Amino acid sequence: MLLETPGAGLFAGYTPLPGAYDELFGPGGAPRPEFLRTATLLGALAPNEFARAQQLAEIALLNQGVTFSVYADQRGAEKIFPLCLIPRLLSAADWAHMERGLEQRVHALGLFLDDIYGDQRILQQERIPRDLVLGSGQYLKQVHGLRPPGGVRIHIAGVDIIRDPAGTFRVLEDNLRTPSGVSYVLENRLISKRVLPHLLDKARVQRVDHYPARLAETLRSVSPVDPSGTSAVVLTPGPYNSAYFEHSFLARTMGLELVQAPDLFVDQDQVFARTTRGPRRVHVIYRRIDEAFLDPEAFRPDSLLGVRGLMRAYAAGNVALANAPGNGVADDKAVYPFVPEMIRYYLGEEPILEQVPTYLCMRDGDRRYVLEHLDELVVKAVDEAGGYGMLMGPQSTAAQREEFRARIEATPRRYIAQHRIELSTSPTWDPASRVAVPRRLDLRPYVLTGRDGPWVLPGGLTRVALVAGSYVVNSSQGGGSKDTWVLKGPWDVDSRVPSVGAADPAPGAASNGPPSPPPPPPPPPSEPPEAL
Amino acid sequence: MISRVADHCFWFGRYLERTESVARILAVTQNLALDTELSEPQCWLPVIIVAGQKEHFAAEHGEDAAADGELVQRYMSFDEDNTTSLRRSSSAARVNARSIREVVSLEAWETVNELHLWMNSEQALEEFRSSRYAFYRRVRQLTQLCLGLTQSTMLHDGPLDFIWLGVLLERVGQTARTLDVHHHALTNRERPAADTHGQAQGGESRQHRVVETALWLSLLRACSGFEPFMKLNQGQVNAQAVAQFLLFEPRFPRSIRHCVHAAFVRLCEIRPPESATLPGGESVERLHLLHQWVADRASEALDPLSVHAALTHVVDETATICDGIGRELLGYGPPDSSPSFTSQ
Repeated sequence: MLLETPGAGLFAGYTPLPGAYDELFGPGGAPRPEFLRTATLLGALAPNEFARAQQLAEIALLNQGVTFSVYADQRGAEKIFPLCLIPRLLSAADWAHMERGLEQRVHALGLFLDDIYGDQRILQQERIPRDLVLGSGQYLKQVHGLRPPGGVRIHIAGVDIIRDPAGTFRVLEDNLRTPSGVSYVLENRLISKRVLPHLLDKARVQRVDHYPARLAETLRSVSPVDPSGTSAVVLTPGPYNSAYFEHSFLARTMGLELVQAPDLFVDQDQVFARTTRGPRRVHVIYRRIDEAFLDPEAFRPDSLLGVRGLMRAYAAGNVALANAPGNGVADDKAVYPFVPEMIRYYLGEEPILEQVPTYLCMRDGDRRYVLEHLDELVVKAVDEAGGYGMLMGPQSTAAQREEFRARIEATPRRYIAQHRIELSTSPTWDPASRVAVPRRLDLRPYVLTGRDGPWVLPGGLTRVALVAGSYVVNSSQGGGSKDTWVLKGPWDVDSRVPSVGAADPAPGAASNGPPSPPPPPPPPPSEPPEAL
Repeated sequence: MISRVADHCFWFGRYLERTESVARILAVTQNLALDTELSEPQCWLPVIIVAGQKEHFAAEHGEDAAADGELVQRYMSFDEDNTTSLRRSSSAARVNARSIREVVSLEAWETVNELHLWMNSEQALEEFRSSRYAFYRRVRQLTQLCLGLTQSTMLHDGPLDFIWLGVLLERVGQTARTLDVHHHALTNRERPAADTHGQAQGGESRQHRVVETALWLSLLRACSGFEPFMKLNQGQVNAQAVAQFLLFEPRFPRSIRHCVHAAFVRLCEIRPPESATLPGGESVERLHLLHQWVADRASEALDPLSVHAALTHVVDETATICDGIGRELLGYGPPDSSPSFTSQ
């Protein structure tokens, strides 16, 4: 158990970075009023005990195999995604705003994809340049005219959000293909529950553990057959993929089978799994492999990967794919500047969430500006992620700038540029100095959309740059994560709903079985919290 | 159940059992080497032979290297090129479990993961140096814990059946090869002793019997069969009784008869013999025949000269059955062999 020692606490001597918004502390150095109680409790923790808990948390992650593979490492080494136990807090009011903004944004992006792979009205009316959209490397001719089963394309969205020095949330990019990271949200919460149970309880934090049940429900809702008779699977590239832990985690917590492409085959436009009892029909595939490797027949004839004929089965409406192939055209970084326009065009509303002003290098005027201000801007390749293919202007060398100048001039469509936004910070444990120090962070909330509309997981993945002065939060480049606590508002009832394993029984299930036994007695209230 | 998943389950079970078995044989042999007047090669060469690594070991360390018990133990514990070393087997068990993380229970996974992390850590080397007994004990305990956790924390259905089918078939092979190697060594020892003439013969013979008994006891210990054997035979140790026990005792969970029977029961759960349309028919039939064959032999008097032939038959048949299970149930074979018929 963590001791609460007054005096030399966790935040002793904490000074927010000048010019950045600190999530926990106001400009005067006092905790923000909405977090006062939680910050006081956190601040009372003794650094020595905290250091020990932090160390034990890391051992627990390693023993549990909560790891990702490092591509650069040829031996296929696995690393843990470092976790800072000091949570990142979001107020109820901020979250309500963000939740509405995310639902609006993902709704509009879905309508945009329907339109682009249908009538293309938004292009005809010249609200977005036709060449920009149809020239995207992510635009998929093969799915033009196809209506996905259940009418949903963005079943799972991960939207990266940063907070500027004024405290305004801004969307940095959308991930509408195979966004990852949600397993860390759930694992981080499990660890918080073990290490900081009294704090979690007093802070009134929104739960996250029902995500797998909601995801399974979302997948079943788009099945081409009756949801109760649906066979859904998770498709992974295999154990050497960097996100394999998450693939198996989601399959496990949803109770679905985890398959690899060679486990599936297509016969008469229907998908089957090879089982020990012969072939078995599959209706919904939550695919965590790139669409380029989904089906060699449709995409890469030379590829040995994928399921031959899968796209035929999809076109015939016999299998739902989550997310739908072709979504990349909507999260293309060069299409991103037009998302507010999509919201206005399809929904007739003003965007709720701000985004970051962006220069498109394909436009002559923008390109000229970008090339003249390379040392001030952040340049990004539109088709790369994970912090790769990027020029951080203010920290770059002359040689790096020249390299990007040449690249931009060669293929201007591939590059965009943005002013660097000073990311917000939050107190983060520094093992060297054994106190909390300000470190930059971002947020990736997850939005699920099924046949009946959207649902946003409260909070999301907070990624933090653990290195002093760094802006890069990616796990592949020295980033870590924090548990994200969305505080309940006065309007949120403290209901004790059953958790994932004990989710509501399927309709009809109640009438089949014998009456359920009385619930087990609750654990004694005096049980000491586990220190990990 | 997905065939590839069944394959990983099967091999997860086999590698766990192999790890446990090798650790047990090493511990027993180390104990034996301290007790008896056997030469070092007589103690340690069988360990290498049972593991099927005689040629590889000789190629790496020379023909006479089995005289060095420390070298053999390092080779069987940590050698990265020895596919049967504890480090390799435990990592292979862990790789298979990791490939089916959603199938193996969390507790079983954590145990095999901890075993793998520990086997590759500095602490394991330190323990190997400072307390050999504790080192082997730890490996055995973690594998036994993991096997037990599969039983006590996983659904008793397909995946568990495949894990234990793997465990049992691996155990058949381990028991058969361990018995074969020792039986061979002991029967060979008898001849020079019988040919010896002279005054000291009586003393040598007595001495010989002591050593022989020690070897049979260590063989029983290597198969975790010492106490069960003593209970059934009231302390009378001789070659025939030990061979009979390890081959045919239906109540002993590591006897060949018990394991073949239990494997057959698991396979019938996976693929009921009456379900003629399901894949796996040949394997069920073949395992049934082996089971029958062992049971028939059990009812006859055991001829010491036939032990080697019987064990060879068991080892060969087990290998053939494993191949057949791979082909029929685990999805081995040409990559594009999607069945032509489909059902819903």
